[in-house]
Amino acid sequence: MTRIIAAIDNSAAARPVLTMAEAIARALAGTRDAVHVIEDGDETARACAEAAGAPMRVLPGDPLEQLTLALAEADVVALVLGVRGRPGGPRPAGHLALALADTTDKPVVVVQPDARPPARLHRVLVAMEGSPGKARALKRTIQLSADAGLEIVVVHVDEEIPSFTDQVQHETGAYAREFLSRHVMDAPRMRLELRIGVPAAQVLDAIEEFHPDLVGVGWPQSDDPSRGAVAREILDRSPVPVLLAPVN
Amino acid sequence: MSAPGRTEGDDGGTRRARRSLGVLPAALDRRFEAVVLWSADPQLSARTAQDLQALRGAALAVAWMAPAPTHSLVERLGGATPDATPLILADSGGNGAVAVDDTGPCEVEWPQPEESVDALDRAGEAVVRKLADLGIASALSPHSAGATRMSVELMGDPAVPSTRLGFKRFLHGHGIPSVPHLAGLAMEAARQVGLDDPRVVVEGGSVQIALRDAGDVAAEVLHELWRRGVDPRDTLVVIDGLSGVPHRPAPVVVPDIREASVVLVNGGRGTPAAGMVALTGGGARVHQLLADQLRRRRRRSLPEVIARAGWSVAIEGFDPGVERVREALLTLANGHVGMSGAALGDHAGRHPWVVAEGVYVAEGPASHLLTGPVAFTVGELHAGDPLRRVLDLRTGVLHERSGAEGAGVESTRFVSLNRPTTAVLRGRYPGALRPGPPLQPPADDATVDAGRTGDTTWIRVAGSTGGITAAATQTLTRRSRPAAGSGTGAKVLDRVASYCTDPVDLPEATGAVGAVDRAATVGFDRLLAGHRRAWARRWEDADVVIDGDDELQLGVRFALFHLMASVADSGEAPVGARGLSGMGYGGHVFWDADTFVLPFLAATHPEAARSMLEYRIRRMPAALDAARAVGRAGARFPWESAQSGRDVTPKSARDRSGRVVLIRTGQLEEHIVSEVAWAACCYVDWTGDDDFARGPCRDLLVQTARYWASRIRVASDGGAHIYGVVGPDEYHEPVDDNAFTNVMARWNLRRAAAAAEATDGDGDAGERERWVELADALFDGYDADTGVYEQFAGFNQLEPLLIAELAPHRPIAADLLLGAERTRGAQVIKQADALMIHHLLPDEAAPGSLEPNLRYYEPRTAHGSSLSPAIHASLYARARDFDRSLEALRIAARMDLDDLTGSTGEGLHLATMGGTWQALAYGFMGLRPAAGMLRVDPVLPTSWSALELRVQFHGARVRVRKERSHLVISADRPVPVVVGGSSFVTGARDLEFSRHGPSWELSP
Repeated sequence: MTRIIAAIDNSAAARPVLTMAEAIARALAGTRDAVHVIEDGDETARACAEAAGAPMRVLPGDPLEQLTLALAEADVVALVLGVRGRPGGPRPAGHLALALADTTDKPVVVVQPDARPPARLHRVLVAMEGSPGKARALKRTIQLSADAGLEIVVVHVDEEIPSFTDQVQHETGAYAREFLSRHVMDAPRMRLELRIGVPAAQVLDAIEEFHPDLVGVGWPQSDDPSRGAVAREILDRSPVPVLLAPVN
Repeated sequence: MSAPGRTEGDDGGTRRARRSLGVLPAALDRRFEAVVLWSADPQLSARTAQDLQALRGAALAVAWMAPAPTHSLVERLGGATPDATPLILADSGGNGAVAVDDTGPCEVEWPQPEESVDALDRAGEAVVRKLADLGIASALSPHSAGATRMSVELMGDPAVPSTRLGFKRFLHGHGIPSVPHLAGLAMEAARQVGLDDPRVVVEGGSVQIALRDAGDVAAEVLHELWRRGVDPRDTLVVIDGLSGVPHRPAPVVVPDIREASVVLVNGGRGTPAAGMVALTGGGARVHQLLADQLRRRRRRSLPEVIARAGWSVAIEGFDPGVERVREALLTLANGHVGMSGAALGDHAGRHPWVVAEGVYVAEGPASHLLTGPVAFTVGELHAGDPLRRVLDLRTGVLHERSGAEGAGVESTRFVSLNRPTTAVLRGRYPGALRPGPPLQPPADDATVDAGRTGDTTWIRVAGSTGGITAAATQTLTRRSRPAAGSGTGAKVLDRVASYCTDPVDLPEATGAVGAVDRAATVGFDRLLAGHRRAWARRWEDADVVIDGDDELQLGVRFALFHLMASVADSGEAPVGARGLSGMGYGGHVFWDADTFVLPFLAATHPEAARSMLEYRIRRMPAALDAARAVGRAGARFPWESAQSGRDVTPKSARDRSGRVVLIRTGQLEEHIVSEVAWAACCYVDWTGDDDFARGPCRDLLVQTARYWASRIRVASDGGAHIYGVVGPDEYHEPVDDNAFTNVMARWNLRRAAAAAEATDGDGDAGERERWVELADALFDGYDADTGVYEQFAGFNQLEPLLIAELAPHRPIAADLLLGAERTRGAQVIKQADALMIHHLLPDEAAPGSLEPNLRYYEPRTAHGSSLSPAIHASLYARARDFDRSLEALRIAARMDLDDLTGSTGEGLHLATMGGTWQALAYGFMGLRPAAGMLRVDPVLPTSWSALELRVQFHGARVRVRKERSHLVISADRPVPVVVGGSSFVTGARDLEFSRHGPSWELSP
C-alpha cells in the first residue's frame, strides 16, 4: 500500500494540506492519513480531518521528531505539510519542512496557507539542474508522476551561457535530448523547457507560464548554510505547493 | 560462416610436432595477423610453402624473406585472389621485393639509402687501409656497379687462419680483441669517410659493408604490411637460422622490428637480442609456429586488442549519463551505413542504432534519418565490469571487453569499408550465453516486414521513400578453449549482417539475404583482412602526422577517421551535419558539407568528393525550381536539404533560453549557392578532372551564376549590390552587401564566365560579358585605408563592442549572453564572416588584408559556431600567430572528444573535423591547388618538430613534410609544385628544400 501523510496543524492551513495529500494519494492510487503533533490544541485539526474524511493520529512531543518517525514508516512515500509563513518572511516558517527534508530520503511537500490545490493532479513541473545528485533525486519524482499519468514539465535552467549554438533550429533539440538522456528518464507525457538565467526566477516564470499543480525541486542535504538557495526562493515565492526532493 | 580451408594431416602434424617440441612460450600464445618468415636458405621447402599457402588461405598476411626469392614463388604461395591477404617476397639482401595484393604482383619500391654507392667504395678502401695499419692484408672484392653491398676479404691473405678459433687468435695478435671489435673497427672506418649509417657483417674472413641489410629489409617488410593494415605488433617474425642476420650494435639485433614478436629458431652460437624468443627445433619448430597460427584461425580466435598511441580511442567503463556521447565517438561507418558504438550487452542506457546515408523519413523540416535494424547487439549478454572499448582508427575496428580478464566477454566488430553492405561481429562468450536473434528491429522506427530465409533473418524498415533492408546470420560454436577458471568452455559467435539501403525504393529482402550469404562464405578473417587493407589504403592517402603534440595528433586522426567513414565514394552522398554518427540535425545537408567536408575528400579521396557533388547535381532541378519560385533565374541551392533537395529549414524554433525565434537562414543565407559551385571547383582543382570540369561543374557554375545575375541589383551609380541576405555571422539578419556573400558571388560569376567560354566557345557571349560586368561592379565593402572589409553595409555604425573583453569566456553564444536585440545592434559576430573570404578565396582577397581583418574581427567574434575555431586556426597560422592558431586548433580538434557543445551525443561535428584538416593543410602547410600546380607555403609552430600531410593531386599521390627548416615533397609521378614563388616538378627523387631566411632553396 502507498500512503501519504498529511501533517496538519491546528489551523485553517490544514485544509489545503489535506487536499494536496488527497490529490497526491489519488494520483498514486494510495491512501492518505493525517497526523497532528499537538502543540496548542487539536480542535481545528480534527475538524479539518473529519471534513476531509481523513483518519487522524494525534502525536505528542517534538514535531520534527514525530514527523520524522511517521515519514520513516515503510509504506509512506511522502509527507505533506503546511507552512504558516515563508522561509524568507518575518517568521521563518518552512523551517520544519526543510528540517524534515534534511532527515529523510522521501519527498516532503510544502503547501502554502493560501494555496488552492486541485482535487486531482494534472501537471507537475520539475525544476532540474544537471548535477547527478539532484537528477537522481528528481528522477523518482518524475517516475511517480509518470506512473500516475501526469503531464510533466521539466524546466532546466542553465546559469552559464553555452559556448556554441550552431543552428538554433536543431541545436536546442539536440541539447534537450542529450539533457533528457543524461538526467531524466523517458516518460510519455513529458516535455523539457530550457531556460538560461537566474534559476529561481526562471523557474518561477515557468510556474506562471505552465500553471502546474505541483513543483518539484531538489533539496541538498549538507551542512553548507548557503545550500538550497534556489529551493528556498521557490518555496518562498511559489504560488503552488512545492515538493522538496532530498539530495544526499 | 565457413571455416578457413584445411588440409588433411595438418592437425596430426601439429600434434606430433607439439609432442616433440613442447608447447610454445607464453609470448607466442596469441593470434597474429601476419607471419614474416626470414630464412637464410633461398630454397623454400615444400612443407613451408604448404604452411604459408595455408596461412594465406586463412587470411593471414605472409612475407617470405630470403636470399633472392623468385617470382615463381608467387603462385606456389597462392597468388592473387579477390580477397587475398598480402603476400610479400623480399630479397633479404635488399635487392628488391614483390608484393601480391588483390590485383596481382607488383614490385615494391624500397626507399633509397641516403648514402651513395661512392661512399660505399670509400668505406671499403678505408677499411682496407685501417687493416693495413694493423698489419693485416685485405682486398676489396669486385662488385657490380650500383651495388649496395661490398666485401673486404681478409682470407686472401694466406696468413689468415681458416678456422674460427684461429681467426680469433689472428685478430687478437693484431690488436683486435674479437670479431665484434673487427666489425666495430670497420664501422668506424666507414663513418670516418662519410658513410654515416653503415651496415657491417663479418662472415668468416670477410667484412661486408652495406647500405642496407636484412634488418632494413625486415623493417621495410613490416612497413609494407602496415601499409596493408597489419600492425607490426600483430606480426610474428620467424628467423630461421642466424646466418644473414646483421650484427648491429647493441641493444638489439634489429631495432626497427622490435614492435613485432620475433622468434629466432636455431640461432646457433649467437645470443638472442632482448625481446627476442629463441627456440630450437629447426624446420619442425617453424612448422609448429605456423601450424599454431593456422589452428587458431580454425578455432575462430579473436584478434588481439592493440591500443596504439595516436591511433586508438579507448573508453573505460559504462556511464549512462554520457553513453550517447561515447557511442557517437565510437561510431563505425563506411559512408553507406553508420552504427553506434553502443556496448553490446544489456546495459540500461545504451542506444544501439543504425542509420543509412540519404535515407530519410518524414517530410520538410521534420524529415530526419531513418533508423535501421540493429545487428550489433547481443541478446541476453550480461555485461560485467570492467567494460573497455577500443576503437582502432587505423583499421576501423571496435574491440570490446567486459568482465574479468580471460573469463569475460570479448568482441571485435566492424562495418566493412571494402564491402559497403557488410557488418561483421565476432564475440567470445561464456558457454551459457544465448545470443538471441542476429538482428533486432530499430527502437525508433517501425518495421514494415520481417522474416527468415534459411538461416538468415531479415527486417525491412521504410522511410518516406526508400528504406533500409537488413539481413543477418550467425553461427555459434564451442571451439574456443575454456575460459580461465570457468571449466565450461566458451562459445564463439560469428555474426554477419548486410544492409541494403535505397533513398527511393525500399529494397527487397532477397538482395540483403544474398549479400549475407556471400559475405558469410568469405568468412570473418578474410572480411576483416579486406576491411583493414581498405582502411590502410585510405590512410595512405590522407594521414596527417604532427610530431610534437600527441593530443592534437589523436584529435586530428579522430577527425580524419570520421570524415572518411561518413561519406560514400559511389553514387550520391548527401552528407549531413553529423554525418553517419547520429541523428542530430536530422541528417540534413548544409554548407558544412560543401565548404568544410568536401575539400578534405577532394584532396585525399576524390571519389567521395565526387559523390558529394553528385548529390548537388541530382538536386539541380529542385534548385532551378527554388530560384523560379522567388522570381530568379538559375539555381538556388537550399540552406538546409534532405532527400528531395528542397529547402527544409524550419521557419521558427525555440532557443536555449526558451524564446521562440524566427529562423530566416532558409530564406536569406544564400552564400551556399556560391559554395556549391566552389565545392565543384575545389574538386576540379585538386583532381584535374577535365570531364567533370567541362560537364557538371560547368553547369553548376553557370546556373549559380545565372542566379546571382538575377539576384544582384545595379544602383543608379552603376554599383552592383546584393540586398537582404544572411552571412555566416547569423547574428545579423537581414543585411545588405554582406562582403563574403558578395565576394563569393563575384568569384562565381567570373569563374562561370571563364568555364562557359572554355566550353561554349562563342556561345552566349552576351551573358558571359554581363556576368563579368556585374562581378566587376559588385560592392565588396573593402576599405583600402584600413585594409578591412566592412562585413555588411552599416556594420561600422553598430555599437562598438568587443566580445573578447565583455564575455566571461569564449567561445560563447553571444546572442544568449546579450540577447538577440542587443547583439543585432552591436559589432558582435558569431563566426568568421568577412574572414571567410581569406579562407575560401585567398586570391580574391585584397593583398595584405588578412592581418588587418584578423585584428579587427577576431576580438568581435564570439566563436559561437563550432565552425569558427578551425577557420581561425587556419587564418592565424597564415598570419604566423601560432599561439592563437594552436589555441583555436585545439578547440576544434577536441570539439567532440571533449563534448564541448554538449550535443555530441546527437552526432559528431563533421564540419569542424573538415575545418581541422583545412587548418593543417591550408593554414599550416599552405597547401593549395592553383592554376594546375600545387602551392606549398608551410609554417610550423615551435612546439611541433614536423608536420606531414598526404594528398592526391591530379592523380598523383603526394607527401609533403615540413620540419624546422626543411621541406620535403615527394610524389609517385611528376607534379608541378610552387615553393617560395618558384616552380618545380617532382620526379623520381624527392624535392628537398632548405629554409634560408625568408626563402626556400632546393637542395641539390
